[in-house]
Amino acid sequence: MRKFVFFGGKGGVGKTTMSSAYAVKCARAGVSTLLVSTDPAHSTRDVFDQSFTDTPQPVEDEPNLDAMEIDPETEVREHLMETKRALGEQVSPAMVNEIDRQIEMAHQTPGAHESALFDRFIDVMRNSAEYDRVVFDTSPTGGTLRLLSLPEYLDGWIQRLLHKRKQSVKLFERAAIGNNEPRRMMEGDPIIARLEQRRDDFNFAKETLQDEAAFFLVVNPDELSIRETKRAVEQLDSYGLDVRGLAVNRLTPEPDPDEQGRGATFLRDRVNTEQERLRELRDDLTPPLVAAIETRVAEVKGDFLGEVADEIEVGVELSTN
Amino acid sequence: MTLAARIESYRTLVEEWLRGLYHGMITHPAYEKIEKQAEDHEDAFMLACFPDAFGIPSPISYYTAELLPYLEDEFEAWERRMWDRGSLLERKGHQFHF
Repeated sequence: MRKFVFFGGKGGVGKTTMSSAYAVKCARAGVSTLLVSTDPAHSTRDVFDQSFTDTPQPVEDEPNLDAMEIDPETEVREHLMETKRALGEQVSPAMVNEIDRQIEMAHQTPGAHESALFDRFIDVMRNSAEYDRVVFDTSPTGGTLRLLSLPEYLDGWIQRLLHKRKQSVKLFERAAIGNNEPRRMMEGDPIIARLEQRRDDFNFAKETLQDEAAFFLVVNPDELSIRETKRAVEQLDSYGLDVRGLAVNRLTPEPDPDEQGRGATFLRDRVNTEQERLRELRDDLTPPLVAAIETRVAEVKGDFLGEVADEIEVGVELSTN
Repeated sequence: MTLAARIESYRTLVEEWLRGLYHGMITHPAYEKIEKQAEDHEDAFMLACFPDAFGIPSPISYYTAELLPYLEDEFEAWERRMWDRGSLLERKGHQFHF
């Protein structure tokens, strides 16, 4: 299995359970593992009964497992503060107000959370040398998909900006008469440097996601979830990302054959429709089913986590492909 | 003053005038045009960076915001040019000295 493993899927299907269980499985097999939660609702803390911050912290009773929770809100705020600090150092007081407004506005745009999260992703992936495996528990499908499509999309945009900037700087250099200092210079231009830095980040993310990451989608055996998963598989494929499998969660347990009550009949009916849907999943989608987890009566945590982990047929050993 | 010296001073004067004329009529307008062109490119760059200044949401304004501290002069000049500009034609018209 690749180094970076992502679990995605519709909201409420059990991504956190699956990713936590898989992380535990890896850790218990002796692979040093980091579990990263990017879901703003953060349920990792409920699974392990322990609170986490945005720096990796060891999970109690799991010697090879660290966990962290990323809060996009905090990330956006920090980015805002950092930009403002730079503003204070660079800009004359007369202009600060004008530019300040612009900066505030930029941090309230719809894409801000995603961008902030994405920066953090890059950060985590870059600085993960001490772990052999990083498991991402991502936010519900829509957000995750947009997040993963970002490098492709932003790269084009940054390239365009870079091109425009270089063009205008080149012209300014030419327009400088004789020994006059040009108004802008290519050498040491902070804008070009920043844009190039961003471009490199995006390229890094793109390459890492395509070459070193594996994706699993968590599905519930219901119509909506299956339809959304189909779309997700298509989209991930189109970004050139590697969808390794589907993990089906919340299957209804089958009653014993001698039970004939109303409850048993209901369960049997349900099991039948679910089997039908599982067949649909197997036939219509290329990624194989890697787990079929039955509904648990209680919350999945503690001992249950180990049980679920055993049912996930995803390899833990390290390999690059 | 000898004749040679007078001719010499006259020639320097003519040379200076010629250079001045050439600069005023040919080089300077040309440089101005290049500078205008550069400004136009910069405007396009700024607009691509901060379309939300005009109420157009941009997916990357989060990233371009961090450029702002380094774009002080540009930002001010850009805003000024945007206010000045009645139309694209008007600005293009500036390039010709009628």
